[in-house]
Amino acid sequence: MKGRKKFDFEYIGSLLLAITLALLLGALIMLLNGKNPAMGYFALLQGALGSKYAMASTLAKTVPLILTGLATAISFRSGIFNIGGEGQLYLGAFAAAYVGFTFTNLPVIVAVIAAIIASALAGGFYAYVPALLKVKYNIDEVITTIMFNSIAMLFTNYLVNYPFQAQQGKMGGTDMIAEAYKFPKLVAMSKLNTSIFYTMIIAILVYYMVKKTSYGYNFKIVGENSVFSKYAGLNNKKYMILAMILSGALCGIAGAFEVYGTHYRFLQNISKGLAFDGMLVSLIVKNNPVGIVIMSIFFAVLKTGSNTMELTTGVPSELILVIQSVIILFIAGENGFKQIIKRRSMNKGKLVK
Amino acid sequence: MKDIFDLALFQNTIRTATPLILAALGGLLTMHAGILNIGMEGMILLGAFFGVLGSYFFSSSLMGVLLAVISGVAIGALFGFFVIELKSDEFIIGIAINIFAGGLTVFLLRSIFGVKGAFSSPDIVPLPDVHIPFLDKIEFLDKIFNNHSILVYVSWILVALVYILLYKTPYGYWIRGVGEHEEALETAGINPKKVKYVSSILCGMFCGLAGAHLSLGYLTLFTENMSAGKGFIALAAIIFGSSNPIKVYGASLLFGFFDALGIRVQSLGIPSQFTQMIPYLATVIVLFGVAQKKLIKGKAD
Repeated sequence: MKGRKKFDFEYIGSLLLAITLALLLGALIMLLNGKNPAMGYFALLQGALGSKYAMASTLAKTVPLILTGLATAISFRSGIFNIGGEGQLYLGAFAAAYVGFTFTNLPVIVAVIAAIIASALAGGFYAYVPALLKVKYNIDEVITTIMFNSIAMLFTNYLVNYPFQAQQGKMGGTDMIAEAYKFPKLVAMSKLNTSIFYTMIIAILVYYMVKKTSYGYNFKIVGENSVFSKYAGLNNKKYMILAMILSGALCGIAGAFEVYGTHYRFLQNISKGLAFDGMLVSLIVKNNPVGIVIMSIFFAVLKTGSNTMELTTGVPSELILVIQSVIILFIAGENGFKQIIKRRSMNKGKLVK
Repeated sequence: MKDIFDLALFQNTIRTATPLILAALGGLLTMHAGILNIGMEGMILLGAFFGVLGSYFFSSSLMGVLLAVISGVAIGALFGFFVIELKSDEFIIGIAINIFAGGLTVFLLRSIFGVKGAFSSPDIVPLPDVHIPFLDKIEFLDKIFNNHSILVYVSWILVALVYILLYKTPYGYWIRGVGEHEEALETAGINPKKVKYVSSILCGMFCGLAGAHLSLGYLTLFTENMSAGKGFIALAAIIFGSSNPIKVYGASLLFGFFDALGIRVQSLGIPSQFTQMIPYLATVIVLFGVAQKKLIKGKAD
């Protein structure tokens, strides 16, 4: 067995290289577009970190990224691939909103806890079904969770356009949750709210579970070597199902926070791919919980700053999506690139001889 | 009932099924080659954008289709490079391609055309409609099968071609072989990498065509994210039709039918969300059915 290194410097090196290359590519695209890349990136940093408001907006954007990133990490580490975070998030968000606009006279703590539990149950259950199909019938969970995403989005879309459409006639949204339940804002005007604290607590719990408990260790063994874990007497199926439920629950909670911290109601397009963003974040740092928090901040900086970049320099903010997807391409190709380079240098060696 | 099930419904079915079948034909080739391509969504989107771009700048729908196909070849090759050469996880690359395409098309939309959301212009030349003379003798044939955009007819030909390729040529045998037993192919002196590359480049091409049909076939415009889940429905059609081109064509028609029906019944106050759900539900049910069969067979063995 490989030694348990504290830091994988080689990996961090290639990660930084990938990010640098992607940013350079972004700069090149700006140049081709007739814009000054230095000014573009400066505006981006300014917009993401240049003021108290900017920083608050950036931090606010990390919340769903961290949660869906951790959700991805838990499932991927256990060798079961939850691509259904988006659907779980939608159902969780709706369940939480339902609590918030139906039971409007509860003590705040009770209501918020009930909403979070409801969202975790909804998300967890929606992940449990594909997990069960996987372990019981060996049905590919990648495909089922992709299908489940669309089903959940269509289903909640139906709910908010028919039975639960807002009474004020707002299309595609539910009623507002009770005023008292809204998460307090931490910086006026920004979207930053107390969900960031809950998110940090969850991140610490997940870190603790993954790194320090036997559960976390077993998840990892099941994910890395299912044959070995079987011989070691672990119930692979149990751990895969558990990982999937936890993963779904986290996505559900991410949905609840979007409702209670940002929109105060369920909207039919509440997510717009948040779970996919979180998935990228997690994949880039190889499902490491600490890495997820750091990378979420980086992604949030890009996301928040890109709007300012667009306003002041005219570079379309979608450039950031290109940069992000290029980073993931480089990271996903990392091992392959390394092997090609190795092969090249070996061949060179042969030539010299 | 008559208002719903009229000839126009079936005509719409063919139209809405066409991008599904085009993309699914590509996806089933990679599926046979042992690659699950969930990047089709992004590949379609790129095709739709470059279709409009080509048509607009060259005032020719043929150039639009050509650019769409070229963009498909490029993204298919890129997909292949990462999945086959670098052995990256196919669905990570698929997700990355979807996000990349979503970002790139909007970015280009704004930096080239200077618009946000959608681009339409009288200078975009739509694909021509085709009139088949002998069909107009019989009304219902004429109404359903005639006067479609040209890619509709191309898609029918492609169904036959892909079927022949897969089941009647050695190359098709290799494509199917590489997905099932790569080593055997290697012993036979065939480079499995090459075969996989061909399948993923063809997949990109077909998705490019699907995109061109979306943006030049019946709407002459490009809108952000206009593939709107078609790549995933195509994936559903592939699974529903067990990767057989003819069955996949049937599945695409069926899904196209429910899509067209959904728009109709909405006017009666019936939510279209449920008809739209059918492809996704059907896929899960099919997978479940196949798994059960395997289970029963396994027990009998």
